[in-house]
Amino acid sequence: MLRPKNDLLQGTLALLVLKTLARGPHHGYGITLHIQMVSKDILRVEEGSLYPALHRMEQDGWVSAEWGVSENNRRARYYRLTFRGRKQLAEEEKNWERLTEAVAQVLQFV
Amino acid sequence: MSWIARLRGMLNRQRLDRELDEELRSHVEMRTADNLAAGMSPEDARFAAQKRFGNFTLLKEDTRAVDIIGWLDECARDFRYALRMLKRSPGFTAVAVLTLALGIGANSAIFSVVDAILLRPLPYPEPERLVRIWESSAKYDSPRNVVNPLNFLDWRDHSQSFESMAAISGAMTNLSFHGQPVALQGMQVSPEFFSILRVPPLLGRTFSAADGVAGQDHVVILSYELWQRQYGANPKIIDAKIDVDAVPFTVIGVMPRGFSFPKIKSEVWTPLALARTAEWKEGRYLTVVARLKQGVSLSQAQQDMQRVANFTAQARPDNNKYWSANVFPMLEDVTQGVRRPLWVLLASVSFLLLIACANVANLLLMRGTARLRELAVRSALGAARSRIVRQLFVESLLLSLAGMAAGLLLAQLGLRSLLALIPQNAPLPRSEPIAMDFRVLLFTFLASLLTAMAFGLVPALRLSRVDLQSALKHGTPRSGVGGHQALRRSFVVAEVSLALLLSVGAGLMLRSFARLISVDPGFSPEHLLTMHIWTSPARYFDNLKRSQYFDRMLTEIRATPGVRAAGSTHFLPLKRMFSGSCFSPADQPASSPSDWPSAQFLIISSGYLQTMSTALLSGRDFDDRDRFSSQPVAMVNHAFVERFYSGQSVLGKQLRVCWTMEKPVEIVGVVADARQAQLQDTPEPTIFLSNSQAPMYFATLVVRAAGDPGPIARSAEAAIHRVDPEQAVSDIQTMETVFSDSVSSPRFQAVLLMMFAGLAVALATIGVYGVVSYSISQRANEIGIRIALGARSANVVRLVLREALTLAVIALLLGLAGALALSRVLESLLFEVTPTDPITLASACFIVLAVSALAAVLPARRAMRIDPIVALRYE
Repeated sequence: MLRPKNDLLQGTLALLVLKTLARGPHHGYGITLHIQMVSKDILRVEEGSLYPALHRMEQDGWVSAEWGVSENNRRARYYRLTFRGRKQLAEEEKNWERLTEAVAQVLQFV
Repeated sequence: MSWIARLRGMLNRQRLDRELDEELRSHVEMRTADNLAAGMSPEDARFAAQKRFGNFTLLKEDTRAVDIIGWLDECARDFRYALRMLKRSPGFTAVAVLTLALGIGANSAIFSVVDAILLRPLPYPEPERLVRIWESSAKYDSPRNVVNPLNFLDWRDHSQSFESMAAISGAMTNLSFHGQPVALQGMQVSPEFFSILRVPPLLGRTFSAADGVAGQDHVVILSYELWQRQYGANPKIIDAKIDVDAVPFTVIGVMPRGFSFPKIKSEVWTPLALARTAEWKEGRYLTVVARLKQGVSLSQAQQDMQRVANFTAQARPDNNKYWSANVFPMLEDVTQGVRRPLWVLLASVSFLLLIACANVANLLLMRGTARLRELAVRSALGAARSRIVRQLFVESLLLSLAGMAAGLLLAQLGLRSLLALIPQNAPLPRSEPIAMDFRVLLFTFLASLLTAMAFGLVPALRLSRVDLQSALKHGTPRSGVGGHQALRRSFVVAEVSLALLLSVGAGLMLRSFARLISVDPGFSPEHLLTMHIWTSPARYFDNLKRSQYFDRMLTEIRATPGVRAAGSTHFLPLKRMFSGSCFSPADQPASSPSDWPSAQFLIISSGYLQTMSTALLSGRDFDDRDRFSSQPVAMVNHAFVERFYSGQSVLGKQLRVCWTMEKPVEIVGVVADARQAQLQDTPEPTIFLSNSQAPMYFATLVVRAAGDPGPIARSAEAAIHRVDPEQAVSDIQTMETVFSDSVSSPRFQAVLLMMFAGLAVALATIGVYGVVSYSISQRANEIGIRIALGARSANVVRLVLREALTLAVIALLLGLAGALALSRVLESLLFEVTPTDPITLASACFIVLAVSALAAVLPARRAMRIDPIVALRYE
């Protein structure tokens, strides 16, 4: 199993969080669970970087947040994607594809 | 916008911290629960969850730091960048900052004056409840008439809206210092005066009701300045006895430094003992001040006073029929005459600021198109439009703040010279010092912010709307004049029309002032010395004694070498003072005095007319025949004859004059009209009474000198002291000074407006020049091509000029429309000049047009010399 590096690339955290929220609103813990689960435990998000990132995204208007009740009747803050967030997600996905394509090309070059 | 959220974040700090705390805790709880479900022990579950989280506090700080860091970082970056940009074009920065400094500084200076006089509340506790109450006569068109003592007593006793009411009578007091008599301005006040103003004394006490009783009223309160100056700030002054008008008075108090009552410069306060005795029955001379009861409104007080006035009219109809009362808030009342001129000045100076803003906006636009490439690159690199706008706006803000700093320095200098223009004897309504205090600084700061928005926002918005493609391709400043042209032109049109507006205003004030000083006053002010005499009531209470005293004084003065003539009057002309009295022809049946007509009156000595060089139209002047006990005589002026005896001969007719009710007076002469209270007032019908027969207890002596009046002041004073060594003489001035002081306000306004108009025209000219020469440089290739194709230089110049003049004409039309719309504002400030005076309008238009044409011609001539080859090469 790949030892996950503790610091994900800056940009990719935002991309992953936005993608997660594209499926529906989540609270912070839920986002970490989702990413961990879908990536089959390869990507673990540090809480230390998640909340500052979420806060920055909220300030930039990509996500909006409000208090709600979680599955086990606990108060939690739910984040949802805004319209601008959706546009940002599309942009980031495009960039990511370009980046990975470029990297693949370099690697293929013998 | 994200920065709004950030700002909100900074303000709601505590609440957001708590929420974040709760959020993080719930996260840990959820993970703990999951750990438990996965089979860990409760302690381990929680431990593992918290370990994953790391340091709580650090995490919270990091999250919250996103706000501040981001914001501050961007702010700092914007400021540093703006500073660099401004330093890179020092010429532009200098011109912009100077222009702004001029506009902001002028506003700051004028606002200091406006604030100190009109806006700052009076320096007493709860000043909004202070009012002044006047008698009002619709018949004589006098809404603010001084008050009769018996009426005052009735008002005080019967009104219900006031905590208390006090009466004031201004007086000169003779104090004696080391044997030298000195006349001081003082106030006689009823005892409630100090409790109404609620200013506690520095030493001792203020008047109590007991002090107002005649016989027990030999107490006096001194001003701080007098106590310092003459008594060496000696704390033992309380209970000391000093001689006031040759009578010993006890000093009971000293007022604190800076205490004053508006418009009356007083250094001593003595009690005014009023009683209901017959001798005060008819005269009106008191000023009344009062404090409203809590919760009583002004209109309620007004109605109350009208009710009381009706009561006095019924109690003493001879004196009070057709008279009522008016209540005015004190601040408004005191600033009556200066309010409109000051607002006009402030408006003018804000127009100046607008012109400065237009200039700087144009400068920014012109500089901006030179930076098109830089802005395009930034946009391509991902800067949001809002970011670019913000960046440009920060530059404007820096310019504005620099302008504010320089402007404040200019304002300080300007204010000092402004205040030096105000003559000593025509003081402002309020004596509190005018300085640039915190309120003025706050105003200046806000004005600078607004200024930055006014000139910075539009260019910033326009310039940030950058077409990437074409800008990156063509980036050179020679191309792409584009849509900014219209904006620049409209700024210039705005500038020129405002400059025209100010020029019209200045021209009107100038004409008005010129008209005013060319009015024939009816006397000859040259070589005339004036001085003021108040006789001690104790020594000259008897009318005969006073009459002889004045006669002897004048005889002595006339015998002094260098004196051509001398006389006295009870109110010197052009001091805003006059007296009125009712009268009736003696041969008509005696009706009630309330129905009699009224005229102004003046108590003069023989020789007064000759001294003043006022012409005698018929009959004779007062002379040695008219002694105290001989037949009472009077003179009237031409206006009197015209109004009441038109077509008849008035010599020999007799009048009953209310002022001197004992015996009717016989008219022995007709005097030419002369101005009395102020130059602006056309001469009213006036009755002249003889000072030898009805002597006032004060008078102003007028002395005509053979040459320069200054040197004879000492000998005149010595002559007076030969008659009474303890007579204090005050206010020694030449009549020319009095004349000049009386027109100081219109002169002040005219000078200031001329200055502002001059600056405005200068700025507008620079604006026109800048825009025209810029547009020429933009169109250099077009012009080059025209010349290459054979256009003659004259045609090129004509092309440029035509455009410039079209703009100028539009601006003139707009400016004229503005001048006509605002004309009513100036109406009350002008003397014999209509606000739509065609000569002024035409001259202003001509000047502005000529100056704009000049500003356009200079760059146009440069256009002629454009070398077509050079121009085309840079394509």
